[in-house]
Amino acid sequence: METQAEIEFQSAVSAFSAAHNEPDWLRDLRLTMLAKYPALALPVFEKIKYQRWPLTDVHEPAVQDSSAIDLSSLDLDYAEAKNVLVTVGESVIATRLDPALAAQGVIFTDLFTAVREHPDLVQKYFMTTAIKPDANRLAAFNTAFVNGGAFLYVPKGVTVKDPIQGYYIQDSTRTQDFIQHVLVVAETNSQVTYSENYATVGEQANLANVIVEVVAADDAHVRFSAVDQLSKATTGYVSRQGNLANDAKLDWAVGMMNDGNVVVDFNTDLVGHGAHAEVKVVAVTTGEQLQGIDTRVTNLGQHTVGHILQHGVILESSALIFNGVGHIVKGARGSDAQQESRVLMLSTHARGDANPILLIDENDVTAGHAASVGRVNEEQMYYLMSRGIDKKRAERLVIRGFLGNVLTEIPTKRVRDQLTATIERKLENGQKSE
Amino acid sequence: MSKLEVKNLHVAVVDEDKGLQKEILKGVNLTMNTGEIHAIMGPNGTGKSTLSQAIMGNPAYKVTEGDVLLNGKSLLDLPVDERARAGLFLAMQYPAEIAGVTNVEFMRAAINARRADDDQIPVLEFMKFLDKNLDILDMTDDMVERYLNEGFSGGEKKRNEILQLMMIQPKFAILDEIDSGLDIDALKVVSKGVNSMRGAEFGSLIITHYQRLLNYIVPDTVHVMMDGRIVESGGPELAEKLEAEGYAGVRDDLGLDVKLTDEI
Ligand SMILES: Nc1ncnc2c1ncn2[C@@H]1O[C@H](COP(=O)(O)OP(=O)(O)OP(=O)(O)O)[C@@H](O)[C@H]1O
Ligand SMILES: [Mg+2]
Repeated sequence: METQAEIEFQSAVSAFSAAHNEPDWLRDLRLTMLAKYPALALPVFEKIKYQRWPLTDVHEPAVQDSSAIDLSSLDLDYAEAKNVLVTVGESVIATRLDPALAAQGVIFTDLFTAVREHPDLVQKYFMTTAIKPDANRLAAFNTAFVNGGAFLYVPKGVTVKDPIQGYYIQDSTRTQDFIQHVLVVAETNSQVTYSENYATVGEQANLANVIVEVVAADDAHVRFSAVDQLSKATTGYVSRQGNLANDAKLDWAVGMMNDGNVVVDFNTDLVGHGAHAEVKVVAVTTGEQLQGIDTRVTNLGQHTVGHILQHGVILESSALIFNGVGHIVKGARGSDAQQESRVLMLSTHARGDANPILLIDENDVTAGHAASVGRVNEEQMYYLMSRGIDKKRAERLVIRGFLGNVLTEIPTKRVRDQLTATIERKLENGQKSE
Repeated sequence: MSKLEVKNLHVAVVDEDKGLQKEILKGVNLTMNTGEIHAIMGPNGTGKSTLSQAIMGNPAYKVTEGDVLLNGKSLLDLPVDERARAGLFLAMQYPAEIAGVTNVEFMRAAINARRADDDQIPVLEFMKFLDKNLDILDMTDDMVERYLNEGFSGGEKKRNEILQLMMIQPKFAILDEIDSGLDIDALKVVSKGVNSMRGAEFGSLIITHYQRLLNYIVPDTVHVMMDGRIVESGGPELAEKLEAEGYAGVRDDLGLDVKLTDEI
């Protein structure tokens, strides 16, 4: 009897899953998606052309140890953090959770540990609510090859006061795909502040595929902030997906500070009655890179509120595209969709786009948008320089002011300061060639 | 002692609508030393702000002839930030608003721009100096925590210009209508601030429409500007004469052929 040709990497994926002692459901899900992903369509984003990027040029999965990698170039600062997870490649190098929180049932651990210790709980939410595994080619790809990430679970009625902090470091000291999956679940009437950081060590060209799911149950409130700093040699797909039940609230504040080509698929579904999402994005692009950011909020429930605010700065020959998609479906009466996307261009070679897209299928709603692509205000520059501040610094001040209304939304001062410093560094680099 | 000289300065602006160059300053001569306060008065549209912007180095104003020198060295090739670091300051008639940049961080950046990278002003020293100046100007802490000029009232903006002046301690300060829009108490406070700067190492050129300001900041010299030129100079009594007779009086005394905007 003729055996059917094995799907590429089928046994490697099985072996990888077995090496991590994964439950059967996850191995089976991986294998299903492995078979399925090549035929699925890539997600389509207005004006973002990334279809030819090597986002699925995967290498054979194998367990790799990155625990000895030197991280000093990143100046990570988590010594003081009470609740923290630090991973490098597939290796976990720090994990801490306040015992008082653990006693209340809070879970914060790397994904492999989570699926071993809480298989049913993870299974209940893993690609079931915020996004489906076969939603598109890149989601299915992530499911098949995921090799890192985290699980954060906040039980019903629990309020987590201190922020939960995740650092996910890509090991590019060698060829290794960086395929991360973070799952955040806030149960009914819980509250949590979570912040995460993606960064790269090493110069190797690698792909990154990051999916973050945030599931907020009735009356839950999640404050989510992120700083993404993948390297110049990394080509990335970053997907953040939120799903909100009745009267849930989700505040996103995200800094896209990557140095390479990245496409961002940022989506929030306001499913429950009265759900509310505030989405704040800042981005800086430099060099030759393209960051294409598609930010979408869908008002499904009645009286839901979705606000998008995106500010970005473009230097050198780079390109930045902001899509803001506000979609109010039929029946979502009394809902509100507002958005503002602004882009500032610092060089004549820069390319920028701010696309407001409002899709309104219901009459009884409020909606609005504002978008602009402009240059640094000359009058402001002159004023600052007339006090002795040099041109580049004055430019950075004006830019920081421009990005400020997003920065101030970041809940923890440490993350805010870190993002401010990252912006400053990225701007300084970008200004060198001018 | 430092010396600021304006020699036969001709300045033109480009009229955006017509694309034509229009001459505003038609040969201004002015010499001032630190330790001196000069006042310039003159009718609307005569070129007072233009003179201040041209000295400071606003790129919108084109010097077509003449020179501006600080201690004998021409400033014309220097951009505005270098002129500022060389010791010039301009309190603007219409200060810009910058959201997202706090007043306090802006002032610190301005001070540090004058210092070496390894000699930045210590935070405590800065705060003490700031508190002292806030006190003189009757300003509250929350004004400096706010974004630079954003949402400031007209009078608050003027006060904030003087606060910057006091923090930066330039050699020469040009104050363009620092008194306009101020109530009488604010006028006294702002004058107190400027007077606190007076000394052998500080000179100021004060542009005003009102003799009243000069009761509080008594100038050494008063200049009258008309139609892009300084047409008369004298002591403080010249300001009183202007107040009494108006610009038409001065013009007719001098036998000038200048049309004043508000003449019927
Ligand atoms: N940037 C500019 N573009 C075009 N015209 C200008 C510009 N700046 C000044 N002018 C013109 O130059 C002339 C002098 O203006 P300026 O502002 O210097 O007058 P001023 O003496 O300061 O008047 P005021 O007392 O009203 O402040 C005016 O006719 C004005 O319209
Ligand atoms: Mg003026």
